[in-house]
Amino acid sequence: MRNSFKKVYLLISVLMVVMLAACSEDETNATSEKSGGPVSAKIGVISYMTGPGAAYGEAITNGFNLALDEINEKGDVKIELIIEDSAGKQDQALTVAQKLMSSDDIVALLGPTLSTEMNVVGPEADINGIPIMGTSTTAAGIPQIGEYVFRNSIPESLAIPAALEKAVNKYGAKKVAILYGNDDLFTQSGFDTMKAEAENMGLEILTIETFQKGQSDYNAQLTKIKDLQPDLILASALYNEGAVIMDQARKMGIDLPFVGGNGFNSPQVIEIAGEASEGLIVATPWFGEKDDPKVQDFVKKYETEYGHKPDQFAAQAYDALYIMAEGLKNAGVADRDALRDALAEIKDLDGILGKFSFDEDGDVIMEPTVLIIKDGAFQQFE
Amino acid sequence: MLGDIINPYHLQIISFILINIILGISIYITLSSGQLSLGNAGFMGIGAYTSALLTINFDLPIFLGIILGAVVAGVFGILIGIPALRLSGVYLAIATLGFGEVIRVIFVNWESITQGSIGLSGIPHLGRELFKTFKLTGFDPDMLGLKNNQFIYLLVVLILLLVNILLVWFFIRQNKSRVGRAFAAIKMDEKAAESMGINITYYKVLSFTQGAILAGFAGALYAHVMAYISPADFAYHRAIDILIFSIFGGSELIWGAIFGATFMTILPEALRFISDYRYMIYGVILIAMMAFRPQGIIDVSLLKWFKKKLKLKRGGSLGIGTKKYN
Repeated sequence: MRNSFKKVYLLISVLMVVMLAACSEDETNATSEKSGGPVSAKIGVISYMTGPGAAYGEAITNGFNLALDEINEKGDVKIELIIEDSAGKQDQALTVAQKLMSSDDIVALLGPTLSTEMNVVGPEADINGIPIMGTSTTAAGIPQIGEYVFRNSIPESLAIPAALEKAVNKYGAKKVAILYGNDDLFTQSGFDTMKAEAENMGLEILTIETFQKGQSDYNAQLTKIKDLQPDLILASALYNEGAVIMDQARKMGIDLPFVGGNGFNSPQVIEIAGEASEGLIVATPWFGEKDDPKVQDFVKKYETEYGHKPDQFAAQAYDALYIMAEGLKNAGVADRDALRDALAEIKDLDGILGKFSFDEDGDVIMEPTVLIIKDGAFQQFE
Repeated sequence: MLGDIINPYHLQIISFILINIILGISIYITLSSGQLSLGNAGFMGIGAYTSALLTINFDLPIFLGIILGAVVAGVFGILIGIPALRLSGVYLAIATLGFGEVIRVIFVNWESITQGSIGLSGIPHLGRELFKTFKLTGFDPDMLGLKNNQFIYLLVVLILLLVNILLVWFFIRQNKSRVGRAFAAIKMDEKAAESMGINITYYKVLSFTQGAILAGFAGALYAHVMAYISPADFAYHRAIDILIFSIFGGSELIWGAIFGATFMTILPEALRFISDYRYMIYGVILIAMMAFRPQGIIDVSLLKWFKKKLKLKRGGSLGIGTKKYN
């Protein structure tokens, strides 16, 4: 009896010691050399790599790694990435940001993946004076957190109006119905933009319906929408719920076009909903079929490397690292403040997403592409 | 000097550990009277939102906000506790879990005040606000050889540590008092306790409310340490996490909750070096734990054995009799 306690106790103490040791393992690595030649710098990446949203984090880190190899090969700047997982939780994102920020040779942060995480990490980075750039944070108000906070992901406030405007012009819509998920930051923020934009354009909003994450039956909401006979349905949903909504709508005989936000924009929609997905209109920074050698080159490289087609998260991450590299090159030194100033100056940088500039807040200025699902594929919507 | 030792990363982890310890104690207290409550995430949310909204909208000092957050959570604890404690065991667990979800859904839907799932940002930060007051008195962290953010997080950790010591001290005292004995008696056998003249409704509501107050208190601290909260923070995952702190560490003793919260907070950070696999290890440890030591790591006999060991060692080396240490 006593022996077994002894063993258990020993085990616990050993485990604790190992853990404490592991907690403070790093920081012995070499510091960046500053002797002439190209600027070499370390950039911390906070990504969502374990948990339900790990697919986003994986695409993002793949995008970074692909860009990293190219940039280092080119040799204008030497970048080293230190990638850490946040598990999609705010507290872990904050802890790991502290870890990265407290190491003096890290000059900038990329990520975190979710807007909720950015709301926590952004202010801390701003206070510590380290530039931070979100590659997938699309909620309103992110770059306004502080002058060290940037993003290169198109916010809903840019994407949705573009899609809505084209759709309204094409179909001559006057009455719309809105459907949105109200328990998610992403879809909620998309809805706010939709409503504001619809009011702005003088459209009549017939009804506003809500649903929750993981819901499987949307018949109640769709029946109501059908009875009101709108010209267009605006749906702020993530693709997994959105695809099911479209499927049920088509089965019910609603043949109207849907306008969605950024989260609705995924090839998965076609896979899940099949023919029912025809007529979904979204605006996106990323269009993989674009007739641009740069884009095609990226798609090909990504496919050979990772075995599947890149999505917009990979593309945004890829461009983000190029923006950082450009900033470092212009700054000339691996210094946090110099890098911030250089980033703010970036104008019309050619990337795979298009011409990219920051506005005075550190938000994106860019023309999104509007796409529609037709004949089982995303196509440019004219 | 001091500036070289103190790393904001470690301070951040420690401050989360300290908050989680309060949460661990909150569920330990309800468990100590034999109630399994899963509503603590809801109470935590009430505390967090109360304090955050009061400090944002009415410029209340943070300390007052945190105390009010705990009080409001406590009021809800009494209101929920009186009807809910007619239930017991699994039924109580499900009812309280339901309560937690109701609270979360209210935060999501009460958009005019809580801003729905967008969450509340711009909550005054405990450390940063204190830092401002220190600045006004002419104090500069440079005098201690510290950077601003080191100083801010050091302040947070020190305050949390103080709060933790007071709480642990209070609950250890309570356990040895009439109230603690009553809790233990109810846990062992409700009927027997009642026949001994213990007012079980009173004590059950008391322990439930104490748990609610503590959870609300921890929630309010959480809000002012994160400076941003959203309803998703207080979903049932959180309730389960809190339960694990106490069950893993051992639910018989307060030390179990403290150990569980510490271990479970450090674990994901310490396993960072194996990146993708860390949550697998986390799961394996939980399963192994439940299989080999279902009563939790720390239980009464382990503590006794440990005390005896300590006694023997000291008694042996100093040549002092063992009686003194009893």
